[in-house]
Amino acid sequence: MMAFLTDPALWHWTSRIWFVVLPLLVVGLWLRPKPFAARQLWFLAACFVLLMAFVSPIGVLARGYLFSAHMIQHLLLLLIIPLCLMLSLPQGAFASIAESPRMMSLRKWFAHPMLGWVLGLGAMWFWHVPSLCSAATQSDLLGVIRSATFLLAGLAFWWPIYAPLEKYRLDPLTSVVYLFSACLGCTLLGIYITFTTVSVCPAFANPVDRIGILTAIYQAGLSPSVDQQLGGLLMWVPPCSLYVCAIVSVLCRWYSAESSILETSGPNDKNLPEASA
Amino acid sequence: MPLVETSSPATTDEVESGRLLSWVGTVDHKRIGILYICTATIFLAIGGLEALLMRVQLLFPNNTFLSPDFFNQMFTMHGTTMVFLVGMPVLVGFANYFVPLMIGARDVAFPRLNAMSYWLLPMGGILLYFSFFTGKAPDAGWFSYAPLSTKPYNLQVAQDYWIIGLLCLGVGSVAAGINIVVTVLTLRAPGMSLQRVPLFVWMSFMTAILTVLALPALNAALAMLLIDRWLGAAFFEPDRGGSAVLWQHFFWVFGHPEVYILILPAFGMISEIIPTFSRKPIYGYAFVAGSSAVIVLLSYGVWAHHMFAVGLGMGADIFFAVGTLLIALPTGVKIFNWTATMWGGSIRLTTAMMFAVAFLLEFVVGGLTGVMFAAVPIDWQLTDTYFVVGHFHYVLIGGTVFGVFAATYYWFPKMTGRMLSEKLGQWHFWLWVFGLNATFMSQHFLGVMGMPRRVYTYADNPGWMILNMFATLGAFAMGAGTLVLLWNIGMSLRHGKIAGDNPWDAFTLEWATTSPPPADNFKTIPEVKSRRPLWDMSQPELADWKHGKTPEDSGRRPSKALVCAWAFVASEAVFFLLLLVGYVVFNSQHLEGPNAANSLDVARTGAFTVCLLASSLSFWFAELALHAGKMVHFRRWLGMTILLGAIFIAGQIWEYTGLIMNDITVDENLFAATFFTVTGFHGLHVMAGLVTLSILLSLAIREDFTSKQIQVFRGVGIYWHFVDVVWIAVFSIIYLGLMQ
Repeated sequence: MMAFLTDPALWHWTSRIWFVVLPLLVVGLWLRPKPFAARQLWFLAACFVLLMAFVSPIGVLARGYLFSAHMIQHLLLLLIIPLCLMLSLPQGAFASIAESPRMMSLRKWFAHPMLGWVLGLGAMWFWHVPSLCSAATQSDLLGVIRSATFLLAGLAFWWPIYAPLEKYRLDPLTSVVYLFSACLGCTLLGIYITFTTVSVCPAFANPVDRIGILTAIYQAGLSPSVDQQLGGLLMWVPPCSLYVCAIVSVLCRWYSAESSILETSGPNDKNLPEASA
Repeated sequence: MPLVETSSPATTDEVESGRLLSWVGTVDHKRIGILYICTATIFLAIGGLEALLMRVQLLFPNNTFLSPDFFNQMFTMHGTTMVFLVGMPVLVGFANYFVPLMIGARDVAFPRLNAMSYWLLPMGGILLYFSFFTGKAPDAGWFSYAPLSTKPYNLQVAQDYWIIGLLCLGVGSVAAGINIVVTVLTLRAPGMSLQRVPLFVWMSFMTAILTVLALPALNAALAMLLIDRWLGAAFFEPDRGGSAVLWQHFFWVFGHPEVYILILPAFGMISEIIPTFSRKPIYGYAFVAGSSAVIVLLSYGVWAHHMFAVGLGMGADIFFAVGTLLIALPTGVKIFNWTATMWGGSIRLTTAMMFAVAFLLEFVVGGLTGVMFAAVPIDWQLTDTYFVVGHFHYVLIGGTVFGVFAATYYWFPKMTGRMLSEKLGQWHFWLWVFGLNATFMSQHFLGVMGMPRRVYTYADNPGWMILNMFATLGAFAMGAGTLVLLWNIGMSLRHGKIAGDNPWDAFTLEWATTSPPPADNFKTIPEVKSRRPLWDMSQPELADWKHGKTPEDSGRRPSKALVCAWAFVASEAVFFLLLLVGYVVFNSQHLEGPNAANSLDVARTGAFTVCLLASSLSFWFAELALHAGKMVHFRRWLGMTILLGAIFIAGQIWEYTGLIMNDITVDENLFAATFFTVTGFHGLHVMAGLVTLSILLSLAIREDFTSKQIQVFRGVGIYWHFVDVVWIAVFSIIYLGLMQ
């Protein structure tokens, strides 16, 4: 397995993603906060994951070989990278930009929770219409468009939950409903992909063997039907787990106003008298 | 401090003629709660008797006390009764009684709906048990797996009674769930933010959400099974292209959340009892409450662990195994919360507290064997053995039943004004602890030895008889324990010690009123500034709010009508979702005979679709007119909405007539079956909407409906727009062929 993953044929070091990652890194370093802040780590994580999504075997296999690899790339682009980017946004600088009158109307649209939900879920569903999925896998231009829409839709999706400023966020209980219904949305798609007999992305059913690894893949047991089932499960369980984690963080925020004294236990409480009055 | 107003003063509806009759006509949440609990007790006796009959049959190897056929009926009826007629009703009963009291409300949000929910319970129960008079009770197991439950394998009408009975109970449960959701969200006393509600209220709230979202899955499956049996469709008949596995999926999508519907309220009960009898606040309130919300979400994602033996494929098995292990986390950590609450407290071991402590111990056993089942190979080895029976009885008795017993001893003084006898309580407790462990620990061993469940007898294998005898002994101990409890209740009702308002020095609002509470619950309620308002009152120096802040109440309460409409729509959405999943599953394969492409007129239905969508627009105009108080415009737009909806229905009748003329009926093939099921249920919903709108229109014409009731109108609007959204999904999937 390790030998398979370190095979140089599976690493695409000359990917065009450098044209995105390098400028992004330069801008990030230029604008970096002093002193060091934790959100910088989120930014670096976003850059690293973005790079890996295209350079590593995930990116190589996603280009026509494995539907499941495509699905991992899809989830990284739609969920992980936008989330990391969102968490890396600086509050102060952001406030000054967002509060400017010119941004007001734009923000009003961008910040509407329905928009985020529909874009986030819509991107998932739209790009898995069989013909579109195949076309985007085979055509470079469509592939780039698809990746870009994933990133944008992901940003829009996370905005109501993790926007840098408190006032743009949904209130906690609505956030829970937002995330739960999103989970339901990707669950449905995941179930469909997992259990359907239709090939969701025909491009992966008959791959063009660019780098001569197809036999190795099939020998590893990843036949197209197993591959699609795996892809469906990836569409289903990891995003929902991520949403559940997000729900936990939202609930923590919701309860966070309480202080710790109520929660103490043990010997401290021995001096509490009986409540019989 | 003033109470939050509830619109319907419950007590004025009380029928004056006779005490017994007043119970029939009551809409008081406390009386309805007691009715629920009493009904559940009656069915507990029946379900328990069925269990005892089975245990007598299994006393010896090769016993012939019960026939194989009757044994099948017994385990089917025992399971169905205990889940639907005992477990759920008794928990709904406690929630009904105590949720309004604990949040300082005068009643539930919709008292009449509450009465309807209750009366559907005896109705469903009687329908289910009426099957005995048809010569045979249902015998396909409590989950009625297809194809055993389909017509070719099950010709008796008993199965139909099972389906209709459960549909009745399902509708009642959803209505009760909506009521609790709306009550908790809209009727809390001033100062009680959602982060301050007692944990029993929170857990009941979570349970209600689960009920509202999980029961429709069962209802959809039942409706499809009924269409199979009565109209000759073949959803679940593999011989004719249907899928028996689909039934399992649908059933467990409901069935797994159902487990949490049965256990979460018990978590809530012991989260009240352990702090009270340890004289400490609960340890980690936020974790206990928040993790329950997480359980609600996760519980929808793990249903397939009931189906490891079906052959879903290794990938699916692994993912569901991981999900199942995950859900053990929020449950398992709560055990530490309760233990830490007792740590260092001054514990009073009353019967209630003893049951709560026993809960912790026994539930852990059930929980751990549950985690064992998450490992797929163990599941394959042990599935359909008595190990499974042992596992879930530890969860349901050690968890749910012990929780309910603890709550009975804890809240009986509040409900009746008298204390239960502690001495009899000890007898009750030890009989049950012995009985539970004797019966179900033996069954764990029997399961590992390979004794299959649902088989009426067994061969004389080494050790099997002695273990079975021990199990039967335990079952009779539990039966005796129940008789002690009933005797205790009967005696205490007459001779029990007078309880007073707050016999346990408890912390929450239900103890701030008299025992039993007056019809309108409270004269005044204390100020709510923390999670333990009564503690704050009795110990002003040590008041919780002086030591730690909890999130303040914003004072905003959403409109009852809107919350109710959203909850209802969410429930209906799940129902339609499952029907549509059925359509996609069956129509993505090649079907002989009619299909969407060769029998539907997309253009014509498209035109009628425009009518339906336009009706949403006209509804919106009506709402604007009502808001502005322009009643003439309001009536016109409302009339327009009804007309457009009626045109859509006429179009559907036209389409149906055409299809039926061409001999395309429900029993033709799976396309016809799924098509008529989905569009038929949608049509019924449109018609229900039309009836509602017509009532509003006639009220408006009589000038009984004004802009003051705009929230009600908005609530109806949510439903009406929902019906349109469903149609958009139906139209794109069926007529435009999306996802095939």
